[in-house]
Amino acid sequence: MSDEIGPEAAPAPIELTETALEALLFVAEKPLSRREIAALAGTDRATVDARLGDLEVSLAERGIRLLIDGDRVELATSAEGGALVARYVGADVVRLSPASLETLAIVAYRQPVTKSAVERIRGVDSDYTIRTLLHRRFVVELGRSETPGRPFLYGTGFEFLERFGMTSLEALPPLDVDVAARLAEEGGEPVTDLLFAPDETTP
Amino acid sequence: MQASGAPGVPVMAPEAVGHAVARRAPAVTFGEGRRPESRTQVQMAEFDGPLGLLLALIEARQMDVLTVPLGALADAYLDALGGLEADRLGNVSSFVTIASQLILIKSRAMLPRRTDPTDPTALADEGTDPEAELRARLLLYRAHRDAGLRLAEIAIERIGLFRREPAAAHAAGLAGARPDDAPTLDPRRLVRALDRLAAIAPPPELPPETLGRTITMTERADIIRAALRDAPSVVLQDLLAGIRDRVVIAVTFLAMLELMKRREIVVEQAMPWGPIVARATTAEERTTAGVQAVPVDAPIDETLESFA
Repeated sequence: MSDEIGPEAAPAPIELTETALEALLFVAEKPLSRREIAALAGTDRATVDARLGDLEVSLAERGIRLLIDGDRVELATSAEGGALVARYVGADVVRLSPASLETLAIVAYRQPVTKSAVERIRGVDSDYTIRTLLHRRFVVELGRSETPGRPFLYGTGFEFLERFGMTSLEALPPLDVDVAARLAEEGGEPVTDLLFAPDETTP
Repeated sequence: MQASGAPGVPVMAPEAVGHAVARRAPAVTFGEGRRPESRTQVQMAEFDGPLGLLLALIEARQMDVLTVPLGALADAYLDALGGLEADRLGNVSSFVTIASQLILIKSRAMLPRRTDPTDPTALADEGTDPEAELRARLLLYRAHRDAGLRLAEIAIERIGLFRREPAAAHAAGLAGARPDDAPTLDPRRLVRALDRLAAIAPPPELPPETLGRTITMTERADIIRAALRDAPSVVLQDLLAGIRDRVVIAVTFLAMLELMKRREIVVEQAMPWGPIVARATTAEERTTAGVQAVPVDAPIDETLESFA
């Protein structure tokens, strides 16, 4: 029948060049997930990963950098241009209390981590500091733990990378050798039941 | 930068850890007192938790966390705990927990312990070593505290990365975060501009009430004379009808008195506040008064000296 409406045809694939990827991330005003980029271009995940790698290398000497937080990526200014841009947008240096800095460091190095794990390390109730960091978006809820009570799991968000001038968590300052070894033995908290799909999480 | 012993976790060199610690101002000071414990003064505002306090006590003594006998710090810790402010009571249980651990460690250190590892009953009643456990917690806490301090340094050094956010940038521009495009206006320019404006503008007219005006008795006397030429008599109130200027009224009255003195007119008033009627003098009246002719041409003394 000529008047029947059939299923919509999938859009034709678009070649995901490094230039096209840069343009896409430039226009996007929020981090994009690799899956989202693959769906837009009609290509596979491996191609997206490869082009992102190419773009990261190409931008290494530019005023723009590729920020990577797990599955999500975005374009941001380089640390070298931070002072000038900060003056334009009126941004100030991050100021956190010693308690907040401790808590943020624990979350950054041990993510995903529960509040009780943070409190075990700090030896003190950390509910207020975590809520403060959540409010300032340095810390985000990643999901829930499998442990009894299914407590929230916390990690750092894009805001953390941006305000501390890092393009990824690999740029975190080094941790004490013995402690790093102990953390590696313990491993992170098991994560299930993510509250948000990666590409739907707000930064 | 990547971990040498633990994959996935960056590792800091020991000297780098010391550098980060050195950036933090000491919150423990030593005052007067015989015993080191009693001389210790701790600024409690610097500490959010008991491990931070204990670590500050150790670092203030320039001791190594790995080797310091933690039991020896029990008294200093309790002294500091005694100075805990009332608003910190929400966390007091955590401070007390560490205090009890320190007292336990101190008491165990004072008691003789069986150290023969071959004796199966030697450590059965002692459980885990609380000092080793607390020391491990301190190391873990110190590592993250120092990492937090390093993060603060990084935030100051790098200021931050900024993503493209047109709305935020636009709002910042509207709020005046963007520097001024031009230098600040020199006030002297404003003065010069005002001077130029004053030069171009026409001089302001004087307000009407400040205009100079001269009302002479000669003028008013002429008016009275003119009125008497047309009529045998003139009532002063009628002559001044419609005139609201008190000066004109007063000068007209004075002119009338001057004409009376010169015997040009005769003025009569039948009753107080009644009509003041003036008429020209007759030849007989002038003769009686010894006046030969009407001195119309003689000038009137405007200075009013004759009235004095």
